[in-house]
Amino acid sequence: MLHFDPFSPVIDADPFPFYRRLREEAPCFWSPEAGMWILSRYSDIINALNDWQTYSSASGNMMTELPNRAGATLGTTDPPRHDRLRALVQYAFTKRGLEGLGDPMRAIARQAAAEVEAGKTLDFKDFSARFTIRTLMAALGLPTGDEAIVDEDTVREKAVLMVQSDPRTRAKGPEHIAAFEWMRDYAAKAIELRRAQPKNDLISNFAAAEIDGDKLDEREVLLTTTTLIMAGVESLGGFMMMFAYNLSSQPEVLKAVVDAPALLPDAIEESLRFNTSAQRFRRRLMKDTELYGQKLREGDFVCLAYGSGNRDDRQFPDAERYDLARKPRGHLGFGGGVHACLGTAVARMATKIAFEEFHKAFPKYTRVADQLAWMPSSTFRSPLSLELALH
Amino acid sequence: MAKITYIEADGTSKTIDVADGWSLMQGAVANGVKGIVGECGGACACATCHCYVEEARLAEVGTADAGEQDMLDGVAAELKPNSRLSCQIKSSAKLDGLKLYLPATQG
Repeated sequence: MLHFDPFSPVIDADPFPFYRRLREEAPCFWSPEAGMWILSRYSDIINALNDWQTYSSASGNMMTELPNRAGATLGTTDPPRHDRLRALVQYAFTKRGLEGLGDPMRAIARQAAAEVEAGKTLDFKDFSARFTIRTLMAALGLPTGDEAIVDEDTVREKAVLMVQSDPRTRAKGPEHIAAFEWMRDYAAKAIELRRAQPKNDLISNFAAAEIDGDKLDEREVLLTTTTLIMAGVESLGGFMMMFAYNLSSQPEVLKAVVDAPALLPDAIEESLRFNTSAQRFRRRLMKDTELYGQKLREGDFVCLAYGSGNRDDRQFPDAERYDLARKPRGHLGFGGGVHACLGTAVARMATKIAFEEFHKAFPKYTRVADQLAWMPSSTFRSPLSLELALH
Repeated sequence: MAKITYIEADGTSKTIDVADGWSLMQGAVANGVKGIVGECGGACACATCHCYVEEARLAEVGTADAGEQDMLDGVAAELKPNSRLSCQIKSSAKLDGLKLYLPATQG
């Protein structure tokens, strides 16, 4: 009997054997534990991503949604409203928009590497956490230094907490909702600060933006900003942990990218395919549909298991193998379609710069523990800490 | 479903059945067309799925909206009147037989 429970710690630790069975035995699978259909094959996921009229995001896109968030953020609105909202923030996230950020990012990476307390071992999280939060604050224009509203560690901790869910109750627990509310209040203060004294940063521009002559409503400004902070901190931090996990588990890949840092983009791309942190998102059906003889009803929730589509041999030959030379195209590491991740360019750039600098300080390392503690989340997957032995 | 022919800058070509609703970028990257990258995943945010639409059928394919125009300004190869981003063109039966010419570089 096939089970797939995205709330189970077993799935947090290693979903891939389950994905394989789903793809082969039940590509459109009803999971009673999740209360939703699970799509696991690459082509079905791409179809769903392209067909937003059938697979809507307006009821939320995270596997366990936060209260009153759906409908007010980029990831939780459908076109045409989505497209207008996205157009307002997109420029800042394009390569051209990011040009000025390379040098500050590199300085942040050097500083973060220098601050890591390293003896014979180090926790990679100490590096990735500092790098991620400072980079994000610089990219979005969140108040730092003399302007700072709270210290950066607090912002990061709340962002990490709000994407988690309780494996026992299968929902957001009070601590997760409190973290979300904290972040919303923090975003409100940052917006207020930038409205009073606008600067040339993303939050100032977004807070003043209009769609077709209408100002964005307050809930959209607030929850989109809140989501950008959450997505930036958690997604980038989680991905860097997974990338370090892959490098520290495969000495030959680590040696290749340390000897030739120009290979880092290929290694990053293959990691996005192989086991990126964004494993599963959801949609809701706007009409009845049929897949593999199963009848799916309007209103049903559908999980798109990106992490499984990325391991589908039908799309990526020998998909269960990490191959530095693969250069995968069209992977689902950033989702796809109109909701494809806004931060693709900044994530690639930040990860590359961070590891270039990290490897200057720590060129040789291996993973200490076989078994890791994984974040309890039905949407994202990354280890809570990653101890590396230095050589 | 539409048969789309992707013609690389070196003249080699591949004809692919692209399902209705799929973007022509996704049809290409899912089937190993080298000249299309699609770095951003199809959100009109990177200009690495640049293509030239066969001129005789330009009107059927339609023109770029303002967001796409903006991104087209950043393409790596020469910008021409028939330049489009293939992630913004959806497959449908009316595009059957369409030829897309790909630039030598996506940057």
